[in-house]
Amino acid sequence: MTAMSETLERAGGDDIPRDERTGDVALTAWQVAYEQRAFWRNRTRAFFSFGMPVMLLLLFGALNSGGKIQELGNIPYVTFFLPGILAYGIVITQFVNMAGGIAIQRDNGLLKRMRGTPLPGWAYVSGRLGSTALVSVVMTVVMLIIGWVGFDVHLRAAAVPAVVVTVLLGAATFAALGLAAVMIIPNAEAAPVVANVLILPLSFISGIWYPLTGAPEWLVDVAKFFPLEHLANALHIAFDPLNHGSAWSGNDLFVLAIWLLVGTRLAMRFWQREMAR
Amino acid sequence: MQSVIEIDGLRKVYGEVEAVRDISFSVAAGEVFCLLGPNGAGKTTTTEILEGYRARSAGEVRVLGHDPEDGERALRERVGIVLQEAAAQAELTVAEVLTMYGRYYPRRRPAGELIELVGLAGKESQRVKLLSGGQRRRLDLALALVGDPDLLFLDEPTTGFDPSARRQAWSTIKDLCALGKTVFLTTHFMDEAQALADRVAVMVDGRIVALGTPAEIGGRDTAPTEIAFALPAHVALSDLPALDGAEVSETAPLRVHVITREGLRSAHELTGWALERGVELRGFAVSQPSLEDVYLRLTENQEATSR
Repeated sequence: MTAMSETLERAGGDDIPRDERTGDVALTAWQVAYEQRAFWRNRTRAFFSFGMPVMLLLLFGALNSGGKIQELGNIPYVTFFLPGILAYGIVITQFVNMAGGIAIQRDNGLLKRMRGTPLPGWAYVSGRLGSTALVSVVMTVVMLIIGWVGFDVHLRAAAVPAVVVTVLLGAATFAALGLAAVMIIPNAEAAPVVANVLILPLSFISGIWYPLTGAPEWLVDVAKFFPLEHLANALHIAFDPLNHGSAWSGNDLFVLAIWLLVGTRLAMRFWQREMAR
Repeated sequence: MQSVIEIDGLRKVYGEVEAVRDISFSVAAGEVFCLLGPNGAGKTTTTEILEGYRARSAGEVRVLGHDPEDGERALRERVGIVLQEAAAQAELTVAEVLTMYGRYYPRRRPAGELIELVGLAGKESQRVKLLSGGQRRRLDLALALVGDPDLLFLDEPTTGFDPSARRQAWSTIKDLCALGKTVFLTTHFMDEAQALADRVAVMVDGRIVALGTPAEIGGRDTAPTEIAFALPAHVALSDLPALDGAEVSETAPLRVHVITREGLRSAHELTGWALERGVELRGFAVSQPSLEDVYLRLTENQEATSR
């Protein structure tokens, strides 16, 4: 018998750790931790889904440092741009990164490998969701700090709850839609293309880069059908220095919630096809 | 002995195509069972039904007492799977991946020990994406062993290996069996089945056409013996002694091929005759049909009848 099998034999004896099952909460927390580690180590992906929106904020903020937006009551451009690019960043992280990442894992067999382990499918998906949500939260905080320190954009304390709820609801909605989108992504190479074809034009008509005040009505109607405009608008309202009070945008949150339900329903189909046992 | 895998009347139909057509067998605890067959014979479909990846169309399947289709966690905790091709978390290190997967199992082996086992020592802190193809296959095996499984599925484990890596993998698998693990192996390499399996099932076109130990499968043990040699130029075929119940033929000029039911007697008569006459019989070889001969005969027959 070789040295290897002696090691195995020894390990197979009494001293092998016969632990209990790891609890569900701990298992999910560990998944989030490993996903986080993997996310930040992949520099390209971390830059694309975290670094780029932050960089765009710095760039557009610096380029338009003295600019005002007349249509919105002469507020500084960066005060308008920060909530918009935050919405855009959330979509990149939650939707593009989620859909692309999972499509790759579907194609390279990682999802299949995971299904062969005792890890419950929900724990795997929760790990992914938790990890990307964390990225969005970190991005929100970083953008708020940059806005505060670099561009004198101040979020009113009364509007903080509205921002927190909007960011989390938006993150959940786009994560669900991202999972659902995996089904229409034919292969991993097509993922960035599909995501960009959907997201980039949508961002232009959703008031991310410029206010929609001069846009034709039918285009605004198209934009208002999709969730991005509502996420951006809810954040715009919360950040608008001309608003008072808590600045909730119930209408936009309602539309986001509907998209969340639709996304979840579609994501369940992804689940049944790829993760359910 | 207790059965680890039991299959009775298993069928799998994809639309019009019958990939698996009514197969039945069982695998005992501690056995290395090999499913051997050409590509497209239904080996992977059968294996994936046993692993719980696919639903069957008909028949009974039990794996460690469970129905794999139910996907119970209790079953997956006792099974290790090496897939033909599947990525692991590319950005994590070898040690991290093994620790991470270890948390999924109630009974787990420490990462350091597994790294030692599969020969990845020194690669602990290497990212998975930087491993070579062979190192990834070793990591696959380590990941399949992390939960200390009772049953191990190996789907074509050495495809793409160089000869020395194959030998190494075989010795690892043999060591696993020595510890009483049950191994379910698929391969299209005859020598792999010969080297590892306690029992071999030959699968062709969705059916099991032969099942037995590598030594006796397809009537190998009772098949006629073959004797081959070369005659010197001055000796003719007709000079050879008469051999009872043997079929003597000249496959090429001066190359003689004898098929006989009485191998020992025929060999004795031939060598006795040659020594007496001082005739040199070059390349004198006595053999039973190889597993490959049997396999080729079985698969050809099957293909002929299904046409």
